[in-house]
Amino acid sequence: MDCRSRLRSRSAVTLPTGRNEAAAAAAQATSAAQAVTIESFLAELAAFQTAASESLGGVSDGSGLEQARIEFLGARSGRLKAIQKLLSGLASADRPAGGRHFNEAKGAVTALFAALQDKLAVVGAGSAAVADAIDVTLPGELVRLGHVHPITQTIRRVQEIMARLGFESVDGPEVEDQWHNFEALAIPAEHPARDPLDNFYLAVARGTDPLLLRSQTSTVQIRVMENRRPPLRIVSLGRVYRPDTADATHYPMFHQVEGLLIEPGTTMAHLKSVLRQLASSFLGGDVHVRFRPSFFPFTEPSVEFDMEWGGRWIEMGGAGMVDPAVLAAVGYDPDEVSGFAFGLGVERIAARRYGVADIRDFYRNDVRFLRQF
Amino acid sequence: MIISTKWLSEYVSLPETTDALVERLLLSGLNHESTQAVGNDTAIDLEVTSNRPDCLGHIGVAREVAVLFARPLHIPDPRPQEVGTAASASIAVEILTPEICPFYTARVIRGVRVGPSPSWLVDRLATVGVVSVNNVVDITNYVMLECGQPLHAFDLAKIRGGRISVRRAVAGESFTAINHKAYSLTTGMGVIADAEGPVALAGVMGGAGTEIASTTTDILLESAQFAPLTVRAAARGLVLASASSYRFERVPDPAAVDWASRRAAAMIAELAGGQVAPGTVEAGQLAASPATIELRPGRVAEVLGIEIPAERQQAILLGLGFVAEPGATDRSRWRAPSWRRDCGREIDLVEEIARIEGYDRVPENEPIAARPVTESARERTLRRATEVLVAAGFCEAMTRSVVGASLEALGSPWGDAAPLVCAPPLVRGADRLRRTLLPSLLEARAANVAVGAQMPDLFETARGYLSRSAAPDTQSSPVEEPLLVSFVMGGGFTAGKGLAEAVLERLGLGGVAMNEPPVVFRPVSLDLFAAGRAAEIVLKRPGLPAERVGVVGEVAAAALAGCGLAVGAKGRVVAAELRLDRLEFAVDMERPRSRPSDFPAVERDVNLIVDQAVPWGDIAAVIRGSAGVLLEECRLVQVWTDADRLGAGKKSFVVSLRLRSSEGTLAGEDANRTVEAVVASCGQQCGAVLRA
Repeated sequence: MDCRSRLRSRSAVTLPTGRNEAAAAAAQATSAAQAVTIESFLAELAAFQTAASESLGGVSDGSGLEQARIEFLGARSGRLKAIQKLLSGLASADRPAGGRHFNEAKGAVTALFAALQDKLAVVGAGSAAVADAIDVTLPGELVRLGHVHPITQTIRRVQEIMARLGFESVDGPEVEDQWHNFEALAIPAEHPARDPLDNFYLAVARGTDPLLLRSQTSTVQIRVMENRRPPLRIVSLGRVYRPDTADATHYPMFHQVEGLLIEPGTTMAHLKSVLRQLASSFLGGDVHVRFRPSFFPFTEPSVEFDMEWGGRWIEMGGAGMVDPAVLAAVGYDPDEVSGFAFGLGVERIAARRYGVADIRDFYRNDVRFLRQF
Repeated sequence: MIISTKWLSEYVSLPETTDALVERLLLSGLNHESTQAVGNDTAIDLEVTSNRPDCLGHIGVAREVAVLFARPLHIPDPRPQEVGTAASASIAVEILTPEICPFYTARVIRGVRVGPSPSWLVDRLATVGVVSVNNVVDITNYVMLECGQPLHAFDLAKIRGGRISVRRAVAGESFTAINHKAYSLTTGMGVIADAEGPVALAGVMGGAGTEIASTTTDILLESAQFAPLTVRAAARGLVLASASSYRFERVPDPAAVDWASRRAAAMIAELAGGQVAPGTVEAGQLAASPATIELRPGRVAEVLGIEIPAERQQAILLGLGFVAEPGATDRSRWRAPSWRRDCGREIDLVEEIARIEGYDRVPENEPIAARPVTESARERTLRRATEVLVAAGFCEAMTRSVVGASLEALGSPWGDAAPLVCAPPLVRGADRLRRTLLPSLLEARAANVAVGAQMPDLFETARGYLSRSAAPDTQSSPVEEPLLVSFVMGGGFTAGKGLAEAVLERLGLGGVAMNEPPVVFRPVSLDLFAAGRAAEIVLKRPGLPAERVGVVGEVAAAALAGCGLAVGAKGRVVAAELRLDRLEFAVDMERPRSRPSDFPAVERDVNLIVDQAVPWGDIAAVIRGSAGVLLEECRLVQVWTDADRLGAGKKSFVVSLRLRSSEGTLAGEDANRTVEAVVASCGQQCGAVLRA
């Protein structure tokens, strides 16, 4: 233990603060201590402080410092200790003020000591080795840090950005029915997207309605629209499932973040502007977005949207104006409200953002991989 | 769809550079995949969305180019010279199943000389990646790639009985395709049959028995419509996708049935000799013409947020082949062209106008009004649970929601109902929706151990999937999806319990300041956990039945082995799982906050000897109940047994009590009185004796 921490460990003086102990101290004072006036007490303190600072000013090495420490701050017979004893001789009305001044003087002198000690340590290190110097290249004591999964980090980042734009996050069931996964999204029974080979259908049904693991988080948007009236701004997110063979860019389980805004007078200009704000916040800087026409059953017009990244256009996801048939399916009047929706493939964005070449790495759960995020 | 620029330029004059062409197509809906020089031609690969079968032919793409660059479009109008006996003298056609084939036409060409194609045709097909077979087959392919309508040529002499029937396959019926592989058909598939059996799989592939050979002289040319779902089912069922099935699945232009037949017949007559017999033999009916679509004048601006002049809107629609119809003055009326079945509503017209005008005109600085957002209880619960586990040094894992039989067999803390099963499996062998995350995390731990990763302590937040016993009505789902947080770490029970308690505390349940935590730990027996070394976490809320909201325990040797982890004293693994969906209420609970006392505390240790059977929880409850308001903290310091010093069947709890008053400095006598009360109560209620 070095000198400085020893000083610190002794610096706490317990002053009588509680009623019971104060009473006990007062009783002791009347019997053992001589009466002291506050004026003389303060004078003693001032003299102590002046002497200490003068003495310390002349100290040039460790031994001199230690001598000064014993003289002024020594626990047994230091000058400060002597002054502390005078405290109990003060009139009880003066005692709080006396204590306060005592603590101030003590703090000031202790601080002088610490400063001088630091100074001498620096000088000492330059000339001769300090006896208890440590090898500063020794490893620090390990503090193990946990790590949030990069997919979760990506989702949270999009969530946070969208929250600033007034979109609240929602989730819904992963096991879905035909209505929410397909029909309400304008995907009719004969649509290839409903092929049993392209979905994970469950062996159980609700009545005669087959259930499946949802293939998109748009299901949640339908559920929210069915239960709430516009205006609406939500981000639905979570796991979705499609029977793709796992490879570097596909996995049968992945994550989507989908935004939905339903408000009267919404146009594609609003969609583009919101996506631009998302892109700018996500990527940093003033990022532009580009629309390319595309086709999705539940939006019309439908577009793919690209963001400008490193001088190139990068595909980010799909978007569009909510199809009037979808608005009608949830009981909204397409002539009164309009809205837009967009979706992002989280794995793809995360892979690009972190430079991960194979999205299967996100699901290997190797802590050597996860600790890099 | 691969496009030859040379070929394309037959219908429309192209812009100066291929780059300019593909850039404009890219921004109007035909995604550019690649450009490649082939000989003195250029092949551009375009991605065509499933709603645009018209662009699965060069003419469709040419039409887009014509509109985008405002250039004239030239489409040939082939009129083959018809000679000799009528086609109907050579063949009869019947459709037995109109749901599979709404319309079928057959044309007869006699006296054909089958041979190699001219080099221009070979080259053109080579540019788009099609290998030349012979002049007749090449022409059918060429015309398909020109207009998007698949064709098939049969050797007429090999059609038995002079009759073509379109029907469903008979189950088990055998068919040898032109790839010379034999297929066993099912009733879901459509076939073209002659008097004796199938000669083609409708819309998918022709048969080997009637294929065009060097000896062929008379040809039956099929141009027909086939139902997309039937074609798709057959192509997928037999793993026999073809350029033809790809197009029929997307429904080609009905008007192209006749055009393609004429075009191919004229080309065969020209390039392979032969005489086109007068007329076609037809069965069925073409789809009805599209309905009229009304477009309100302000609609485009309402959807797009930009103004496009009415004249420009009209020019775009006319260029795309839409026909203006007379209508009311306040709106325009349009009929979609036959090749645009995807357009039937006003919004479809808006989209057409938008994509040709270009989305680059849509501004990207249109503000939306601010709206406040609050984080839901679920989000906060998830975030807080994650914070604790990350702070504890854990890495978040993401494991598959669907597991195999061996992991599933380890059981679940959430009931014994059989797992839900999905088809197909998520990955090979994994078809059971998991009822707990723990086996998946154990397996992930094993994978880490296998590669020598250090301290692979993992957690995950995800859904479980539970089968609800007999849903009372068809409205409620038979599936319950608890939101789970689970962790797996090296160590013993108390390490796991401590972390579980930390999570619970952060969620607002428990913690040192709570005199009566709403969750209690009780011994539990589950297959996942070692016997006698696990607890269930039970939530007790006033007015509600107690329920299990979590489990924590040392993992059983069998479960460790089942997940690929070593079993042994050094490899102790503790795991816990909590149902966040049952705990999220707590983050919204208002609890009183108090100002900490400024007065000093008094610490008193007591050493209580009790019977081995007395659990700490009982002693702790008695201490909390009897110590009164002065008790700030009751901390178990040590548990020890020593038959010599304590007596057989006894153990000692060394308990440190921290007492403090909020009203003043605690006197020794007050502290003593509290400790005496505690010892007395422990004696009365638990048989505890103070060890001197």
